[in-house]
Amino acid sequence: MTADGDPGRRTGGLRTQLTRLGFTDPGRAASLLEDPDLRALAGPLEGATLVEEIATAASPDDALLALTRLATAAIGAGEARRAELRALLLEPGRAGARARLVAVLGASTALADHLVRHPEDVDVLAEPSPIGADVRTVRAEILAAVGASGDDAAPVATRGGQDGTDAMRRAYRRRLLMIAAADLVSSEPLTLLPAVAAALADLAGAALEAALALARAEQDDHGRCVHLAVIGMGKCGGRELNYVSDVDVVYVAEPAPGHDEQEALACATRLATTLAKACSSASAEPALWPVDAALRPEGKNGPLVRTVASHVTYYERWAKTWEFQALLKARVVAGDTEVGRAYTDALAPMVWSAVERENFVEDSQAMRRRVEDHVPAAEADRQLKLGVGGLRDVEFTVQLLQLVHGRSDESIRSPNTLTALAALSAGGYVGRDHAARLAVCYRLLRALEHRIQLHRLRRTHLMPTAEADLRRLARSVGIRTGGADAVVERWRTVRRDVRHLHEELFYRPLLPATASLSAEDVSLAPEAARARLAAIGYRDPAGALRHIAALTEGLSRRAAIQRQLLPVLLGWFAEGADADAGLLAFRRLSDELGTTHWYLKLLRDSGVAAHRLAQLLSTSRYVADALARSPESVAWLDDDAELAPRDHARLAAEADAVLTRQDDPVGAATLLRALRRRELARTAAAEVLGRSSVTTAAASLTAAADVVLAGALRIAEYEVRHGPDGLLTRNAVIAMGRLGGRELGYGSDADVLFVHDPLPGVDEPAAQAQAVAIAMRVRSLLGDVGPEPTLEVDADLRPEGRNGPLVRSLAAYGEYYQRWSSPWESQALLRARPVAGDTGLGERFVALVDPLRYPPGGADAHVLKEVRRLKARMEAERLPRGVDPARHLKLGRGGLSDVEWTVQLLQLRHGHDHAGLRSPSTLEALDAAAAAGLVSAEDAATLREAWVLSSRLRDAVVLWTGRVGGAAADVLPHDRRALGGLARLLGLPPGSGGDVEETYLRTGRRARAVVERVFYGD
Amino acid sequence: MDRQQEFVLRTVEERDIRFIRLWFTDVLGILKSVAVAPAELESAFAEGIGFDGSAIEGLTRVYEADMLAKPDPSTFQVLPWRGETHGTARMFCDIQTPDGEPSLADSRYVLKRALERASDKGFTFYTHPEVEFYLFENPAEPDQPLVPVDSGGYFDHVPRGTGHDFRRAAITMLESMGISVEFSHHEAGPGQNEIDLRYADALTTADNIMTFRTVVKEVALEQGIYASFMPKPLADHPGSGMHTHLSLFEGDRNAFHEPGAPLELSATARKFIAGLLHHAAEITAITNQYVNSYKRMWGGAEAPSYICWGHNNRSALVRVPMYKPGKGNSSRVEYRGVDSATNPYLAYALLLAAGLKGIEEGYELPDGAEDDVWELTDAERRALGIQPLPSSLEQAIAIMEKSELVAETLGEHVFDFVLRNKREEWNAYRQQVTPFELKRFLSVL
Repeated sequence: MTADGDPGRRTGGLRTQLTRLGFTDPGRAASLLEDPDLRALAGPLEGATLVEEIATAASPDDALLALTRLATAAIGAGEARRAELRALLLEPGRAGARARLVAVLGASTALADHLVRHPEDVDVLAEPSPIGADVRTVRAEILAAVGASGDDAAPVATRGGQDGTDAMRRAYRRRLLMIAAADLVSSEPLTLLPAVAAALADLAGAALEAALALARAEQDDHGRCVHLAVIGMGKCGGRELNYVSDVDVVYVAEPAPGHDEQEALACATRLATTLAKACSSASAEPALWPVDAALRPEGKNGPLVRTVASHVTYYERWAKTWEFQALLKARVVAGDTEVGRAYTDALAPMVWSAVERENFVEDSQAMRRRVEDHVPAAEADRQLKLGVGGLRDVEFTVQLLQLVHGRSDESIRSPNTLTALAALSAGGYVGRDHAARLAVCYRLLRALEHRIQLHRLRRTHLMPTAEADLRRLARSVGIRTGGADAVVERWRTVRRDVRHLHEELFYRPLLPATASLSAEDVSLAPEAARARLAAIGYRDPAGALRHIAALTEGLSRRAAIQRQLLPVLLGWFAEGADADAGLLAFRRLSDELGTTHWYLKLLRDSGVAAHRLAQLLSTSRYVADALARSPESVAWLDDDAELAPRDHARLAAEADAVLTRQDDPVGAATLLRALRRRELARTAAAEVLGRSSVTTAAASLTAAADVVLAGALRIAEYEVRHGPDGLLTRNAVIAMGRLGGRELGYGSDADVLFVHDPLPGVDEPAAQAQAVAIAMRVRSLLGDVGPEPTLEVDADLRPEGRNGPLVRSLAAYGEYYQRWSSPWESQALLRARPVAGDTGLGERFVALVDPLRYPPGGADAHVLKEVRRLKARMEAERLPRGVDPARHLKLGRGGLSDVEWTVQLLQLRHGHDHAGLRSPSTLEALDAAAAAGLVSAEDAATLREAWVLSSRLRDAVVLWTGRVGGAAADVLPHDRRALGGLARLLGLPPGSGGDVEETYLRTGRRARAVVERVFYGD
Repeated sequence: MDRQQEFVLRTVEERDIRFIRLWFTDVLGILKSVAVAPAELESAFAEGIGFDGSAIEGLTRVYEADMLAKPDPSTFQVLPWRGETHGTARMFCDIQTPDGEPSLADSRYVLKRALERASDKGFTFYTHPEVEFYLFENPAEPDQPLVPVDSGGYFDHVPRGTGHDFRRAAITMLESMGISVEFSHHEAGPGQNEIDLRYADALTTADNIMTFRTVVKEVALEQGIYASFMPKPLADHPGSGMHTHLSLFEGDRNAFHEPGAPLELSATARKFIAGLLHHAAEITAITNQYVNSYKRMWGGAEAPSYICWGHNNRSALVRVPMYKPGKGNSSRVEYRGVDSATNPYLAYALLLAAGLKGIEEGYELPDGAEDDVWELTDAERRALGIQPLPSSLEQAIAIMEKSELVAETLGEHVFDFVLRNKREEWNAYRQQVTPFELKRFLSVL
């Protein structure tokens, strides 16, 4: 600073100094320093220590502006105020008070406004105030403001109405100023945080008490007919309140002796309503916060006030799991302590037995999802409270651990998050180091939230976006360098840590002591470990513990990596339909693959692959088995392209390559079968992961079968061609049934017809014998027991069924169909599709059967009658005994065959006239029928829905049980757990097993009504 | 163990209860009971009592025979007719599958689920039934003419009447079981009585009706007479209905009441009534579930046969009772179709669902009927758009079969069972050759 009197240089020097001190708008700051009112109080400010003191504020610019406004206000408020502020600003001995004032003005424009409005309130900053003022003192102080005595059991305000309300709010703000000042000048705000939050909760309790006193004053009898208690819930109950948030409360009341309950409750309701208004309605002084009573029984629809007994009845009978979790925080904060105590005493036992409730696991999983998911997309990047890694996430983790272990251990029942976390750590339920780190995360998140809310005293949980706001935030939590970016970076780190720590806290202690990664880790006692596993959905916790021990013990590299991986995998298994099966399958896979170099590396390095693996293993036994058999498939999980279905051309090219290089027929067939096994696994994995629909899955399965059939025929012909006679005849395979319709499931057989056409000049019986040999060879190449899965080739749909020759020549087919064909054969031929062998022969076969399946003028009445009768008989006879028709996915009411026969009847009748109907695919033909107006759009939609659902459920049964055949494969199971698993495979949330059953039965019933009309009708 | 369970265990101990009957209701509304000793009670609360469900109508099919009955401790009640010492008590049960999930065939669960849906919309459903029944001299057997205990009429005071003593004894017993009785009087038929239960939430009312039937039968037994809830036991006298008053509450407020509106009926109430009327024919196979029910319904008197509503119109299916000024919370509508032999859980679930559907879809309420609809000609009724209720069980089944509302409310399982069971009943009934036919045709044909 120079004194040469050059105004330009002087200002320039001042500006430089202001910039250096941290002012962002030094020009404006410089002109504010010239403000006459400020100068009148503080004298010339250039170079004064006051400016440096101002510069320590979170926002020096805001602090200076506010101080200027405060000077104007103090001058206007008379000589006394003016002298006082002047002394505060100038006397060296009052540096502490100055620091508090500056800190408040620089961090909170709302509190600055309050001081400008009431300059006399600066006096509360004169002396340092300990943060944890005695709750009784605070209560007495706020009560005194409304003219009530803290000594009364039920204080009544003597300053009523708006005057009283304003007095209460003013007293509240004076206290708030003290708390904020102590908080803001603290050199260690994170350490101070629990005390600040507790002080805010106590202050809120005192305000509620005063508001109740105001409410009593408005009643004729001063509310004497009732004893009303205000129970703090949420953060208020946990003594961990924010600067500004909804204060969650529940009201409970008992009539005073000699008073009628109805009348008392009516009075209590009036008291509660007035109380809430005193805190939150508009008045001269700004509102404090909304009083939210939505956590009460029945929520917003329930009565505002209930008796203790009525609360108890509700919780015994109706309450949901989350309501018990909310009760964990209940604490009497105002009103009649005796009634309040009776309430908490009555309900506490229910909280601590909530973990035994039915559906606890599902409910808590659903709650967790709500915690993670309920973030509006626009706020996802800014939310401190909601979402993964937010405050709610921390609180939920702690509360869940409390519910699980608090049943048997009273020491961890604190409603306060940090206290509870410390107790969980002390009790050995979570790792000490992890708990400490989570506590730090929580404190930081809360401190950020506090600072953001303090600024305008607004209820917000969003990180600001403006540069200036972020800078103020950073400085207010002690980040002096790096500014906006640094605070955002710090917060992002914390968010990631919280997620990670959740897994470490929750699952790491399940690992045996021998598997500890560090001395800080804890290992739960067996009893506690079983309780925790049960609470997250393991049905056999003891078995799970054995698997965990087996997976993590030892010195191998495998065990070392699994110790790292397992905590997070345990959580993912629990999200699946069958956690136990998932863990078991993982152990099997690990035994199989654990020493393979890439396997564990993949899981360790690719979160996606590990998550998908956990999902597959805990949802589908079929895929678990498939992965165990072809472990290399695990490598797909990291690569979306590998999970995409392979089309026919690609598979055919691969088969071609296999056959070209392989000379041994059986060896070649084995390779083909391996190719199909791989595609089954790929399709199943993609379907379980929700990456393919039922029709694409069927298409991939069909493509694999097509390629394998073609390959097998090629091998068989190759053998004959190199035999003594050479090839005497052309061969073709015609796909029938679901194969023809490209609708294969995991367990479907391949229905086919074999046809041949002797080469010119060849002896027909010899050609026939050779064709039969080839067909039999195809069947044995694919159907004989071997190392790779079989594909049963079933030719029972051939003329004369099993009594007829396995193969016929094209001419023989022609002759047979002309003379003997029965309606069911015409119907079966609707699905005929050449799939392998001589293309020309296949086309000629199709041309041969077209007039049969699409007769000109439509099938005649006789055929239709026969088809209908056949179906009716089939319904009566084919259904396995003891199976409820409504539950049989294939033959039952509204099942696959109901829909298929209906479509086929339409094809027989109208196929000749409508080209679109001539498709072997059920859905294509159905769509064409609807487009042609042969069936109403509505009916078609009903049939389609039923067919798709039955198909999906059939696939799901295979995927869930891992069994492809047997009587149970086509039946909707009764077992609730199996239904739950099917629901998950259909992409529904946990706990939807009953819905699946209900939905299927309903869909089937509706489809059957359409079938009755369209198939059997007219 | 929660407090209510503890209370039950303590009471059993203190009052020296020797048996606890666990009650539940099959799909037809017949009460089933299994007795357990006090020692088994604790495990009954914790795990439920296993029983073979295949023996119970509609509960299950043979391959899922194992069922659990889980007592609801809030329904614990000592049975007064079993004497003071070594007493017997009862609790209603929820039926669960072995996995602890509610059985889809448990009719109590059907009602609970319907109430839950209402509660999701912020409604509680209250009902108030007026149960009619006949008292006959013993022995009351199918092959002999029934002899009513008296020949009184509506509201008659019958001096020294058996019915009088009977009602007093029954009411005393009901009250001692915590079931409040609003009203009781002699009904129109000889030996016919009516007892009105006080309004309560629908689940409690349905439990109470089940208890009520048992109490009435027990008291009759004690007095050497026979009580019957058959819908139409005497061809020449009125049948036994169970008119039920219905109301919806939102919190403490009666959602049917709106001061100043016509009949003080809120828009909610009007839509609720519209829902009842719209779906009345679909739910008749449940509210009137036996072949005999249709003899009552088409026998005139107090039984409604046509789908319409009216203010104080005793011929209408839905009646809006006279409003008492200043009693906003007593606003209600009376559904007069139900008979005394219905399964109250299913009937109330359906009435609620029908009314709620009206509210959800915003059905328009047609004009109320002012005339006695019985007196109108068919053409007049057609002109007024008044449809008849199903005239037989067969027709009622055919209509219900097409109802999505009934299927959804009962659940597919119960829905399917009821349809099959009722078709069987109709087929058996159709095979009868009745005295009527013999009397009329034998001599002339």
